[in-house]
Amino acid sequence: MELFTPDFGLIFWMFLAFAVLFFILWKWAWPVILKTVEQRADLIDKGVEYAQSAKDQLDNARESAQSVINDARKQQADILREADRLKNQIIEEARTAAQAEAQKVMDSAKMQIEQQQKEAQLQFRNQVSEFALDIASKVVKNQLKDDKEQAALVNNLLDEIDPDK
Amino acid sequence: MTRYLKIFILSLIALLPVSVRASHADDSHEGDHGGKIDPKEIIFEHLGDGYGWEVPFNHHKRIPLPIIVWGSDGLHIFSSARVTDGQTYRDGNAEFRIAPKGSEYKGKLVEIVDGKEIRPWDISITKNVCALFIAVIFVAALLIHLARHHKANGFKAPRKTTGAIEALVTFIYDGVIKSTLGDKAPKFAPYLLTVFFFILGMNLLGLIVVFPGGANLTGNIAVTLVLAVLTFLVTNIWGTKDYWKEIFWPDVPLWLKFPLPIMPVIEIFGMFTKPAALTVRLFANMMGGHMIVLVLTLLIFIFAAINPVAGGATTVVSVLFSIFMLLIDVLVSFIQAYVFTMLSTIFISLAQHHEHHEEHKTDEHQPAPAVSK
Repeated sequence: MELFTPDFGLIFWMFLAFAVLFFILWKWAWPVILKTVEQRADLIDKGVEYAQSAKDQLDNARESAQSVINDARKQQADILREADRLKNQIIEEARTAAQAEAQKVMDSAKMQIEQQQKEAQLQFRNQVSEFALDIASKVVKNQLKDDKEQAALVNNLLDEIDPDK
Repeated sequence: MTRYLKIFILSLIALLPVSVRASHADDSHEGDHGGKIDPKEIIFEHLGDGYGWEVPFNHHKRIPLPIIVWGSDGLHIFSSARVTDGQTYRDGNAEFRIAPKGSEYKGKLVEIVDGKEIRPWDISITKNVCALFIAVIFVAALLIHLARHHKANGFKAPRKTTGAIEALVTFIYDGVIKSTLGDKAPKFAPYLLTVFFFILGMNLLGLIVVFPGGANLTGNIAVTLVLAVLTFLVTNIWGTKDYWKEIFWPDVPLWLKFPLPIMPVIEIFGMFTKPAALTVRLFANMMGGHMIVLVLTLLIFIFAAINPVAGGATTVVSVLFSIFMLLIDVLVSFIQAYVFTMLSTIFISLAQHHEHHEEHKTDEHQPAPAVSK
């Protein structure tokens, strides 16, 4: 069969054509194409790796930022608590100081009052005794009109004074 | 608008085989066979080679191509127009003509010496050879275009056609060559990629029915034979010591190889069946595809000869089936180029075999990148 017998001319040209095509592509096409394709694949791999590490770093940064925020919050709470305590303490101290001061003021006031009371009492007593003496002298004057009565009175008074001594 | 234009042109192209063969069949119908068509004749003429290239819609006119022969008295170069229609051409002392029907060399150029037909060494630029050159230019242009894109644009990914070619390159290089050959891939990649693109180019050009294509190249056993022989040479020239040891002294019981070398004979036989399988697979697949389209088209004329109505009905069915088959052939073109490349890669990788205890030594043979052959 004609179809199954290879033709010499075509074999010859096929060898030649293939050799030429191979030479052309080997020299000008494949090195450039394969090198670029390989390098681009490497570049893409590197890019993916870079993106991965960047993502990891971002996650880490986010985590550390979160921990910093948490720390800050804690510190803030501590400070607030401390401030609250200090405030209470100051108020307490102030209160005790004020109380002490008030006490002092009150004490001195009391003492003054007592003093004045005593003085007033004393004055009052003196006055009363004056009044009493006045009255007594008037009464005595009246009563001394009569000698009998004078003597009785003197006696009476002497009696009264006597047990006092 | 351009989309409809494209569809129109594509459908026109798809219909062309029908019209071309229709006019052809008409010629045979009215001409040499006296009202009878000879399907076998037509099919084999179209599957085979020729000294001229058919012009669409006209079976008699052909684009003449140069004939180059080494006859009994040296080199002769002349146009194929001089030997058409059975003419005899005298060039110096030698007489040439295309052998007529019934001759041993039917359809081939013969030299007439003493009234006898002798086949000279014939390296004419036939239709197939011309198509071969077109395929070489086509494939080289596409790939150099891609290489230039890379040179000019660096790592910028190509788009459209260039991108499609690059996708094919990476598909074969990463998917077939690298995954099979591993660190040896850069050494054999140029050969294997060239084989893939050459076969794919020839297959696809063969499907175009008018001028730049139309030659049944990969459906020609000479073409597939050369490709298979090249794979055979690459496999065996770069075969490792272990590969040859596996052939002549395989790891089998002694009685299988010593007094009678049963296994070595089988292994050596196996060396040659591989390229034979490559040859026949590609050839048969591509020829089969072309033949089915031809037969479907010829069915119209066979039925029309019996009954005009039946012929009319067959036309619709045949045209639809032809289009379907041509589309399938586009797929087959790719698959066969892929299969040929894949099997070549596997054969080469089998010859790169190293025994397990020597595996650590393979690093020493690491090839320089992208240098081969």
